[in-house]
Amino acid sequence: MSLMKEFTKGFWELLPPFRLVLGLCPTLAVTTSAENGLGMGLATAFVLACSNMLISALRKIIPSKVRIAAFIVVVATFVVVVELTMQAYFYALYVKLGIFIPLIVVNCIPLGRAEAFASSNGVLASGADGLGIGLGFAISLFALGTIREIFGAGAFFGAHVMWSSYEPMGFLLKAPGAFVCLGLMLAAINTISARQAKRKLEAARLAAAQA
Amino acid sequence: MKEIAKLVVVLALICGISGFVLAYVKDLTAGPIEYAKIKNVKEPAVHSVLSGYDNDPIKDRVSFPVGNDKYGRPVSLVVFPAKKDGKTYAVAFEASGVGYKGPIGVMVGVDVNDNKLTGISVVSHSETPGLGARILESGFTEPFRGQDLSKDLTKDNIQALSGATLSTNGVVAAVNAARETLAKYRDKMVN
Amino acid sequence: MSFGDYMLFIVGAVLVNNILLAQFLGNCPFLGVSKRMDTATGMSMAVVFVITLAGACTWLVQYYVLIPFNIEYLQTIFFILVIASLVQLVEIIMQKTVPGLYRALGIYLPLITTNCAVLGVAIINIQKEFDFVQMLVFSFASAVGYGLALCLFAGIRERFALARIPKVFEGTALGLVTAGFMSLAFSGFAGLVGH
Repeated sequence: MSLMKEFTKGFWELLPPFRLVLGLCPTLAVTTSAENGLGMGLATAFVLACSNMLISALRKIIPSKVRIAAFIVVVATFVVVVELTMQAYFYALYVKLGIFIPLIVVNCIPLGRAEAFASSNGVLASGADGLGIGLGFAISLFALGTIREIFGAGAFFGAHVMWSSYEPMGFLLKAPGAFVCLGLMLAAINTISARQAKRKLEAARLAAAQA
Repeated sequence: MKEIAKLVVVLALICGISGFVLAYVKDLTAGPIEYAKIKNVKEPAVHSVLSGYDNDPIKDRVSFPVGNDKYGRPVSLVVFPAKKDGKTYAVAFEASGVGYKGPIGVMVGVDVNDNKLTGISVVSHSETPGLGARILESGFTEPFRGQDLSKDLTKDNIQALSGATLSTNGVVAAVNAARETLAKYRDKMVN
Repeated sequence: MSFGDYMLFIVGAVLVNNILLAQFLGNCPFLGVSKRMDTATGMSMAVVFVITLAGACTWLVQYYVLIPFNIEYLQTIFFILVIASLVQLVEIIMQKTVPGLYRALGIYLPLITTNCAVLGVAIINIQKEFDFVQMLVFSFASAVGYGLALCLFAGIRERFALARIPKVFEGTALGLVTAGFMSLAFSGFAGLVGH
């Protein structure tokens, strides 16, 4: 498998949180604006890429009986690094994301990838996998945040974008709106992949008929 | 037995290295974090209680130990001086008093020559929205400006908030606490 | 705090600020184990047990280890390790002493380590500066709120088996939309606790 393939699978095949249904809590909680979604996504991507690489490098040393504990320590270390760095250089964002930064530890994506990929693959492949999936997560969160901010507040990155008579749907910014919005997005993605699968099937049938 | 020893050694090593790395990162970010907190939380308050200075009160801040907290760790007070022609004429620092629902942190600005308040600004509180939280409004904080801080302030000096007596008292208590702090540490603040 | 205050506190934690539907903590197992009522009740009981116990342990760690040694910045790493070892310990003890209960809850225990409601409640306990009793009450009430939402949700989802659902909405998508409407219903409780 090429590195490129490991990297790009996170953008569609395994796109979290839609294809890989993990990390729903931050997805729902922090996507009230595009900026928050992007910040959370990038923080997670950083943790995921670093922890994947380190765990892959240590995979021969870590005894399998205590691997989960070891993975948790590695992931938590990077989470604390992110916590401190964000506090120092992105204080406003740090305050807004609040409790969900330490909760990256139990976000399931870093631990899930460590168990499913990094513990049995090389350092570079694991790095590519982590970065790809992390960026996929960041894009998903950014997209969800953008939709909620534009329709829920009529703004994008805090700047007003909708026409003046537009009545913002405050519902989208509240907790119920988060669930409904994510559910509808997931349904939309299911529709697209169902269509893709159908097209692939038809192409295969056509090829078979020609042969 | 050998296997268990290996488990323990590996886990302990990973934890130990993680601890060292984090202690190092903590050391690196300690300065920027302190600066970020002051920049984001205190700077607006400092600017609103001081005026007419030609220095940067944030950059010229001084801090000194003022005792220990309940866990025995040293606590420092950060003072923001307002200077004109290199001479400190007013200082701003944070003081706190107990309100209805918990501590109220107030940034207090004092003219060090005539002991008059140059302004106050509430920086942290957990009072009830719509009632006690009105301590944030300028209608409440404005009458504090110019009050004499040579003696304890009472509620009669200012416009108490109706329906939020305890919140009002909390702010007055914070200002009076600031008066004591100033009396005690005046030399360290003005130099 | 008086008795009345505690009642308000509990109602607030169970219904108004429900950790699942209003604060988005612990959503992965929420959507994962809510397809059947019996798994949902099993998970709920395990969560109530672990959150309360973990809340107490992490509180003690915070005030008797982290603060005296001045290493609060290691909170995240300490808490998750405490929770992980606690869950493991509970599993072993339960297996030896109450095998019946272990058979009922055992399979949910490993899942709980990565349930962010546990770490979330532990951190909220510290952020809100609760004392020991308040912490116990808050942890327990939050966990009961979690269990309540999970069981109600499982009840609704069992009905889906009998309904005709558009193909693209099957599974998680409809689960999320349903959770949205439940969250809307729960937000109606906001009026219960005064302003």
